[in-house]
Amino acid sequence: MQNFFYDEQIRRFLLQFTRMVSGFQVQYGRDGEQAALLRVPVRYGDATRNVQTILQENSASSLPSTPLMTFYISSLDYDRPRMQEPYHVNSVSIRQRTYDSATDTYETTQGNAFTIERLMPVPYRLGITLDIWTSNTNQKLQLLEQILTLFNPSLEIQSTDNYLDWTSLSVVELDSCTWTSRTIPQGTENPIDIASLKFGIPIWISSPVKVKKLGVVERVVASMYDANGDFHNAIENNDLLLGTRQQITPYNWAAVLINNKLQCLQQQSLAEEPGNESLTPTQIVSNSNLQWTAVIGVYGVLRPGISQIRLVQADESEVIGTIVLDPSDNRFLLFDVDPDTAPQNTLAPIDAIVNPLTWAPAPDDSNLEGVRYLLTEATGSYDNEYPAVAWIGENGRPLIAKANDIIEYSGNYWHVVFNAEGNTDIQYVTNITTSIQYQWVGTQWIKSYQGIYPGGTWSLVL
Amino acid sequence: MYRTNRTRDYQFLDRTIAEMYTVGGLDLYCHKYLGPETGGTDSAFSGNADATLPIYETLSPLNIQDLLLLENRDRQYDPDVYVMRGVYNAQDIDFDLTQFGLFLNNDTLFITFHYNKMIDTFGRKLMNGDVLEIPNLKDFHPLKADLPTGLARYYVIQDAAYASEGFSVTWLPHLWRVKATPLTDSQEFNTITNKPMVSEQIWDNGNFYPTGSVVNYGNTYYQARANTPAGTDITNTNYWREYTPSTISDLQGTRTKDTAINEAILTQADIEVPLSGYDISKFYILPTENLQPANSTTLYAGSDNTVDGTQGGMDVTPQSLGYTEGYLTGTPTSFGYTVGYLTGSDEAPNGLPVTPGVTFPLNPSLGDYALRLDYQPNRLFRWDGVRWVKLEDAVRTNLNNGSANDILHSTFVNNTYTVPTTDMGNIPSRQSLSEMLKPRADNGDEGGNLPPKPFPLTQPGQKSS
Repeated sequence: MQNFFYDEQIRRFLLQFTRMVSGFQVQYGRDGEQAALLRVPVRYGDATRNVQTILQENSASSLPSTPLMTFYISSLDYDRPRMQEPYHVNSVSIRQRTYDSATDTYETTQGNAFTIERLMPVPYRLGITLDIWTSNTNQKLQLLEQILTLFNPSLEIQSTDNYLDWTSLSVVELDSCTWTSRTIPQGTENPIDIASLKFGIPIWISSPVKVKKLGVVERVVASMYDANGDFHNAIENNDLLLGTRQQITPYNWAAVLINNKLQCLQQQSLAEEPGNESLTPTQIVSNSNLQWTAVIGVYGVLRPGISQIRLVQADESEVIGTIVLDPSDNRFLLFDVDPDTAPQNTLAPIDAIVNPLTWAPAPDDSNLEGVRYLLTEATGSYDNEYPAVAWIGENGRPLIAKANDIIEYSGNYWHVVFNAEGNTDIQYVTNITTSIQYQWVGTQWIKSYQGIYPGGTWSLVL
Repeated sequence: MYRTNRTRDYQFLDRTIAEMYTVGGLDLYCHKYLGPETGGTDSAFSGNADATLPIYETLSPLNIQDLLLLENRDRQYDPDVYVMRGVYNAQDIDFDLTQFGLFLNNDTLFITFHYNKMIDTFGRKLMNGDVLEIPNLKDFHPLKADLPTGLARYYVIQDAAYASEGFSVTWLPHLWRVKATPLTDSQEFNTITNKPMVSEQIWDNGNFYPTGSVVNYGNTYYQARANTPAGTDITNTNYWREYTPSTISDLQGTRTKDTAINEAILTQADIEVPLSGYDISKFYILPTENLQPANSTTLYAGSDNTVDGTQGGMDVTPQSLGYTEGYLTGTPTSFGYTVGYLTGSDEAPNGLPVTPGVTFPLNPSLGDYALRLDYQPNRLFRWDGVRWVKLEDAVRTNLNNGSANDILHSTFVNNTYTVPTTDMGNIPSRQSLSEMLKPRADNGDEGGNLPPKPFPLTQPGQKSS
């Protein structure tokens, strides 16, 4: 069964037609020394018997009032000459302002963005007959003189003021006039005189439109496959492909992720790198105070916990996290990474990052089996006569490791399980104490997906 | 038995027939047509410079109001009602909607009156235009139950002549037959239908009146506010207030309901299309500069400026930010993709603030909008740091027929402005093409001095109102 559809398209034209011929007055008796004026009501002519009976108080004593204008649909014909390509679908892309349902007003920021697809409407010619009921010729002349000057040869009519309704605008053309319904000269009675004006309105009757989220190109996907031979994310992601969401890199600005906080930077703004002596990360880029509210507001509305930021990694994979606005500072977004999108560890997790020159496990610790550390400094040397006592294993087995190595305690002694020197393969490892994942980039360990993302390497998905 | 004069035979028969009408007929209330309205100075009544619309000093059924169209439109009826006995055949009627319920099929009465009684009572023969009220057809149970009285049945005489059945053996007529059809609530019968529809109760100082009672005193109606004891003066406002009763036309005619229906339609039509053209205010325009998104520098929190205008919006000081003249920032510079036929309004893009006035605001900031009200139609400008750039004209207009409608045709029809003259004061700007500038009262001669209402000033290149 076909879904019900009715948009009152002809009814709206009848409403506006009524409006077009309403408000006219005639002289009606006298008000002092001047002619009194009476507004002539207009209504639909083809009332049902039930309604007409109600209008007349269900009484034969009711007095029909004149002057009066009534109208009715006299014809509705397919307008073949105006037919156009019936399979044409027209697309329009629009962006709405945000609507505040609490105040029923539009705000100044961008709300939803849509693409509207409109199927070619069907042309018809709507015939309307307007009957002008008058009790004397003078009234008729007064009304006609006022009405007829409107049509030279036609008057515009609009069924809606919707910018996207391409069927709303039409014209009312006066086709013909019938001066009177009476025989001339009058016969034995004096019936109410009716002058009839026949109008034609070329209208369009339209099917419903398709409303979609904005489908304009925000990002060009050059290949169906990415560098890893997988389908590109934009192809896989139906939301983006179908335009139900927007993916944006605002103004080619940079973003910096520190811990779980994202900050927006202009390109010339620099993050302050912490010194080597401190493991405390920088919390803020102090010379940038761009606010996310303004940045995101240009494109739409942030949906907390739903909107995403995607960080493109060196291998062109993306780390995706949902975002909410930091309630205490609009300069920050709180980034909640989707663990499934974070890089997979290539090394077993470590228990801690330690400086072997200043720290070592307790000598009597009996739970060292399997413990792994990432070293920030080198310790031990084959040339040392007295290796570092704190890292000596059973039978005096020394630990000789370099900075960035990962060591593990097994078999009652420490040994290197990841030799950083000369290793150029990208490796990932997670510190299970802080849950921070690190990436080996060949020369140093860095936080795997935190850091600065220049324009083009991160995007907003609202 | 024919005689050239009226003999006793005629008189015998005539009195017998009259008695039969007295015994067997019913009272019919007759509203006597007196003639078209007299006097008046308005051209519609006075025929000012129109010989076909003569001014009559006295009422007379011989007068004709419009000698060209041969119509008597503004008829006067005797306020006194004549009661005469008449006879008619009751008949079944049908509502006929072929003319939208305005007529009752077969509802034509043929009523006979005794001729001489009619002449004695009425003063003349009943004629076309006289109105009859048929009391036995009064409807006490209309659909609307709270009407103050029953609905009288009115008929208007269409035709009148001797009744064929009224000729006696003397060959002389005794009966006058009229053909009557239902009255319409129209201009012709306004004297009748404009009467108050209340029971005519003359105020009597000695009576007690319950709350809501309506009385007539000196052609003014009063309604009792409360139970009014005897001896209360009609001027005592604690008990009486002036009252405007509904008329027969209001309650018995269909115009009130027709107008209410019309109003409901207009209300909905106004909701669906409040202004001509298209509403683009709900659409968002991305601020741009040099075809790129607006300058990012304005997004600094510290500057209190954002491209969306939400944080102080357009308070931009481009010089302090190192901008050169003419550099665009902040607010949309046009209506972008929404520009189209009849889309211009007095609103700025994205609903941003607008300063209306008849001059430009002083010390504008980059991106400020100003609406010049002295432009017709009003014109919206944007300050680009150097000049006020025109964005659009507010061309959308109300579509109801009336003064709020600014379409070209309406500015001619609904023109209420005046034009000052050196000898006739202010004359109306709107004048008939055929009568313009003639020294008539309507056009502003010594009787037509009007309060000044000049056209609003407009700017060069702008059309007048």
